[in-house]
Amino acid sequence: MARTLDAMKQIDPVKREKALALLADISDSKLRTHLNSCVRCGLCATSCMYYDTFHEAKYIPAVKVDIVASIYKRYNTFLGKHAPKLVNARPLNEETAEEMVDLLFGSCTMCGRCVAHCSIGVDISYLVHKGREMLAEMGMVPASLQSTVDAAVQTGNNMAIPVEEYTDTIEWMEEELQDEVEDENARIPLDEQDCNIFYTLNPREPKFFPLSIKAMAKIFYAAQESWTLSTKYYDVTNYGYFNGNTAEATLIARNLHDEVLRLKGKRLILGECGHGSYANRWEGPNYLGHSYEFDMITAVELMKEYIDSGRIRLDKSLNSEPVTIHDPCNLVRNGGMFNTLRYVLHASCSNIIEMNPYGNDNHCCGGGGGQLAMSEYNERRLGIGKIKADQISKSGATIVITPCHNCVDQLLQLNHTYKLGVKIMTVAEIVANALIL
Amino acid sequence: MNWYHILALVALVACIVMFLGHFIRLIRLGMPKDKAKAQGSTPAGIRYAYINSMMPQHKESAYLHLPTYAAGIIYHLGTFLSLLLLVYSLINIFTHWAMPEVLGWIIGGCLLISTLCGLGVLIKRLVKRELRSFSNPDDYISNGLTTIFQAITALFMAFPHLPAIEMVYFIISVLFLLWFPLGKTRHILYFFFARLHLGYFYGRRGTWPEH
Repeated sequence: MARTLDAMKQIDPVKREKALALLADISDSKLRTHLNSCVRCGLCATSCMYYDTFHEAKYIPAVKVDIVASIYKRYNTFLGKHAPKLVNARPLNEETAEEMVDLLFGSCTMCGRCVAHCSIGVDISYLVHKGREMLAEMGMVPASLQSTVDAAVQTGNNMAIPVEEYTDTIEWMEEELQDEVEDENARIPLDEQDCNIFYTLNPREPKFFPLSIKAMAKIFYAAQESWTLSTKYYDVTNYGYFNGNTAEATLIARNLHDEVLRLKGKRLILGECGHGSYANRWEGPNYLGHSYEFDMITAVELMKEYIDSGRIRLDKSLNSEPVTIHDPCNLVRNGGMFNTLRYVLHASCSNIIEMNPYGNDNHCCGGGGGQLAMSEYNERRLGIGKIKADQISKSGATIVITPCHNCVDQLLQLNHTYKLGVKIMTVAEIVANALIL
Repeated sequence: MNWYHILALVALVACIVMFLGHFIRLIRLGMPKDKAKAQGSTPAGIRYAYINSMMPQHKESAYLHLPTYAAGIIYHLGTFLSLLLLVYSLINIFTHWAMPEVLGWIIGGCLLISTLCGLGVLIKRLVKRELRSFSNPDDYISNGLTTIFQAITALFMAFPHLPAIEMVYFIISVLFLLWFPLGKTRHILYFFFARLHLGYFYGRRGTWPEH
């Protein structure tokens, strides 16, 4: 937080101009449209977890839109320039920037639930991201989030895991896999060229949850897939998307893209990570300015392919405990994976209980938007997570499945904080559990 | 033709020119040049954005706030009707067509209902502390002016031969037309582009249409 507050003392005029230039973007009509569309009806309030939890007006999504739109109006509209008070057009100064940091970084998971429910259709997450871009230009990204991005830029993965530690973990998991499938030829390949699949991980996997790597490796083993991991650029995450620094987001996306080309991978498979999938699949080609030369799908889609084609066979009676599904916002609402995820899980589990609401209407776990990386807002994050915790409790399930390691992390913390007594699993783990070898 | 007729005609032209400016700018800017490979149907997503997703059962902003939603719909219908009647009234300066009295009363009655809805929305903004906390003068001017515009349209339709009402009607219309493209009322245009972008976004990703 110290870095942010220091930066707020005085905004560098050059950086301020660069931030303002982002609002004058004329690359397409999207920004101008959404900046001019909100009517401040306030009906979005109850779609937001922050408002639902804390019942303060500042958390209403329209307020988050308004702070960005008010700056836009001040410098880009007739009334904003000549009668600013009439339309609440605000200058971009230290006070406004400080408010932006709290609202746009500290009070939004960019889950997009308010977007789908907005009476107009304002893309609130997009405007929040635009506001974050402005703050990034002015060097006002919360320090903890920035350090996560710095780690990814400097080391190739957001947890700065040394290569040796990573390869040791992979070798350990390979041995575990060999024991489990009773085949000493079972492998977790590293840096192999010309493979069909270039697989990616969330660094939380090698760091904290290596068994999920083994689970996916078991699925690849069952499908007799030709695949590899990279030792350098295996990180599917891209916190550059969350900190709003497009240059850093582009660099991170390019590192992964170039690594796939270097190893001549035919398909890039995005490991179970909501924002990582979003940032690579939907933003990556735009960051780099061209379509990718290779196919790129998520791990869940790949599992569906394996099931469809008969490359893996599942016995869902092996997963008979009551399970519920947490839909990661960036994969389901913002990624169109609702049916794919249900398809895979209904093939793997015999007792699925949906939360209410679910699917495209699901609540965020509370860890999205980079919240998990921003320790400054831990209390808020765990506070809004109560909505998800209550959903899980009401479902009666004993296992929560989610195809996102950030969600897993937040759900584990909710499990502990709210004493839910459930087990949190990834899709690969539940599918691996149902494999018939 | 009176001076207020001329003013109204000038205001209408100014309003159209300003809206055309907004419209042409948006069209020229075009849609995002998305390099990511689509996994859904963009046209289907856009259709869904304009039709299905606007249904009250699909939006929390509607089904959790049904009275406000209903008032909003009626209020907006009243605005569209008032705008059509303004065009009719301006043409009628030259054609002098006499609207049947019964029709004038029916239209006036309908607009009275939409005026009350507009008033309700305004009162809600004034009364609810949270809503008031992030409202600005534009919200009150846009809501108030549109409501007054509907009210005076109702009166003018019901009593077309009263010169005082006619004059006030055209003066209010002038104010409304000049504010229309400047205040938040310009969402009449931006709304359609917002739905377009939303349908494009969710359509490409395969989120919409929902099955």
